Amino acid sequence: MGSTITANRLTDGVVIWRDAQGGWNPDQAQAALLEGDALAETLERARREDQNLAVDIREIPVEGRVPVEYRERLRAEGPSVRPDLLGKGHGWPAGPFPPLPSVSHSSPDAGVYRYDEADREFLRQRAAQFAQQTERRLKGELNEEEFKPLRLMNGLYLQLHGYMLRVAIPYGVLSATQLRQMAYVARHYDRCYGHFTTRQNIQFNWPRLVDTPEILRILAEADIHAIQTSGNCVRNVTTDHFAGAAADEVVDPRLYAEILRQYSTDHPEFTYLPRKFKIAITGSEEDRAAIRVHDIGLIARRDAAGEIGFEVHAGGGLGRTPIIATKLRDWLPARDLLRYVEAVLRVYNALGRRDNIYRARIKILIRDTKPEAFRQMVDDAFAALPADYAVLTDDLLAQVAERFHTPPFLTLPEAAPAFEAALVSDPGFADWVARNTHPHRVPGYICATITLKPAGGIPGDATAGEMELIAGLAERYSFGELRVSHEQNLVLPHMEKQALPALYAALREAGLAGANAGLATNIIACPGMDYCALATARSIPVAQRLSQHLAAREAEIGPLDLNISGCINACGQHHIGHIGLLGVDRNGEEVYQITLGGAADEKAAIGGIIGHSVPTAQVVGAVDAILDTYLARRDPGERFIDTYRRLGAAPFKEAVYGTH
Amino acid sequence: MALIDIAAREIPEAGAPVLTLEELPGATGEGLAVFLPAGTAPEAVLPHLSRLALLLVEFPKFRDGRGFTLGRTLRERYGFQGDIRATGHIIPDQLSMLKQCGFTSVMTPQEHPPEQWRGLREPTQRQLLQRLLVK
Repeated sequence: MGSTITANRLTDGVVIWRDAQGGWNPDQAQAALLEGDALAETLERARREDQNLAVDIREIPVEGRVPVEYRERLRAEGPSVRPDLLGKGHGWPAGPFPPLPSVSHSSPDAGVYRYDEADREFLRQRAAQFAQQTERRLKGELNEEEFKPLRLMNGLYLQLHGYMLRVAIPYGVLSATQLRQMAYVARHYDRCYGHFTTRQNIQFNWPRLVDTPEILRILAEADIHAIQTSGNCVRNVTTDHFAGAAADEVVDPRLYAEILRQYSTDHPEFTYLPRKFKIAITGSEEDRAAIRVHDIGLIARRDAAGEIGFEVHAGGGLGRTPIIATKLRDWLPARDLLRYVEAVLRVYNALGRRDNIYRARIKILIRDTKPEAFRQMVDDAFAALPADYAVLTDDLLAQVAERFHTPPFLTLPEAAPAFEAALVSDPGFADWVARNTHPHRVPGYICATITLKPAGGIPGDATAGEMELIAGLAERYSFGELRVSHEQNLVLPHMEKQALPALYAALREAGLAGANAGLATNIIACPGMDYCALATARSIPVAQRLSQHLAAREAEIGPLDLNISGCINACGQHHIGHIGLLGVDRNGEEVYQITLGGAADEKAAIGGIIGHSVPTAQVVGAVDAILDTYLARRDPGERFIDTYRRLGAAPFKEAVYGTH
Repeated sequence: MALIDIAAREIPEAGAPVLTLEELPGATGEGLAVFLPAGTAPEAVLPHLSRLALLLVEFPKFRDGRGFTLGRTLRERYGFQGDIRATGHIIPDQLSMLKQCGFTSVMTPQEHPPEQWRGLREPTQRQLLQRLLVK
């Protein structure tokens, strides 16, 4: 057993190996086998001399030339779930590329925040700023340690196989033009697909560093950006994916989410926080935004006089220390929203721990200081702000609200005969409607979910072609407006009921008509070790096996949230799945811990671990045993989560592990 | 190490010897300078603020943003009128944020000499909310 030295190439992220001539080679077969003093000296020299050529230079143990660790084998070979990408080398398409979609499309009716020329120029200037920062990095004026937070604040990570760019879809709202622009980036600067995440973002897995400023410039032309999608700053503000459309909505949260987005962008005081900071907001009593597991969670309400205000929660989160948020305020008038958020952030920035990354989130500060004392500190900081500072006056709110167009809804009759007829004649359509739609606030309209969860597929992935097709459907049927849900699906928020059969037919033809929203195969999964540098196990293959297996019985099972994370950081939000799976490494073997009883809604709960982890080959069997127990023990019409709450974990434990 | 003002112009280093927080209560006179290590609570300097002309706010790592809140609190909440200087590991990309938080000078670290702090591209446009709030 010896070692090889590996790194990622600075300019494009490609995995490279130190060869016998002292150069870097993307061909692993050329990697020099080293040990002892030669290894230490070569490593030391590479780190000293090549820090402006290669990133994350390190040694890895190999047998022959095969890396010992599974993660490193994946890194050398490519994601196990995309064999079609293997052996394609590291080519990127060469230009010239066709004109940008934003040149020919504008989605004039979509309810996205409308940029003015100054807003757009700000994004262009941010892209230009990052171009200069990239140049300074390549020249060595900034070292990697300094550059890393700057690229992260522009959404650019270094992952297992190379760079990954996370682009914000602010509060999940986007136009068809914007989706087309993202497809354009996927097609010309990446590998023709993107991954929608649980935080209403999209990730591109193969961008080059040197192309990223240009990608950001392209996105800016469609009023999209990657600002603060990573780093220790305020991240993309998330909300209900039916915001502005749902019949049960009390307050449209998009206006406040947009104000929070602009407030936190490049905030001079809060860009170097102890750790990342996530805000979620809902305007419905049914919490579809999981606000109780966010650093700040807001519920928008109206008081008896019709005035808008917020119930404020803080200190929720998942990860290593899952905690349900503490309620800080029952009522915060809308005018004070920024002032109060600023007070919370100010206390956190001054006092949050910086000595231990795992104790740096605000949830730990609130837990350690005790909620009462924390609330008092926030109230003091809030009271100390000048009375006229950052007040959301009616005038200001009106000026931002003006930027959201209301789609030109038609006055439709209650009856939708074509829709009603199709419900009767086509059981597949009826099934899809029952699962994938949500009541709309305007008569004759309905919200439709397009799940990105085909049986055996990669949760949340969409090809450039699929994005373009869905953008076209949004243009045709939904005023050019779309949503991304935290369940990694897309939504056409404003469908005429009468047009649903035609939409369904188009989706069926494209293989996108899965009737599984809210069901067992609508699995939420992080990219896991197939892509992620932090993961300890793969998530996607487990999701694929489970969705393939459960597809046949999910209708019988009924509503079920099944979440999978590939490490303790919990991007797959396993703690709040009714059934949660957490992949961990046990001596080189992928094993999965099972949690039950988690929930993200207004009865938010952290799932409980039911026993020892099971090997990957036994995951499907264990989930089956849990679901068999549920089916045998449920009361008529009872959801899985309610049966679990009634019975507790014991019968499920017994089903998985036996009585021993 | 060199001293620059908030427009990245080199300026001469002069003035009173820099005191520690512990030395401050015993010091006499006006126009004093004090070093505020990262994590200093603003309350620690409040009793002496009127006698101080220079606050050196430490950034142990540029990723440690406590200094931004300390500077801003002393400037805006407590109305400090003197020089607030960033010192330690800071990078040129932070100059504009330092300015917005009330800083007026920077002791540049060795690896980032003054010329690196000039000519940086930065957004000059403001988004709608910022434009509405400053009105």
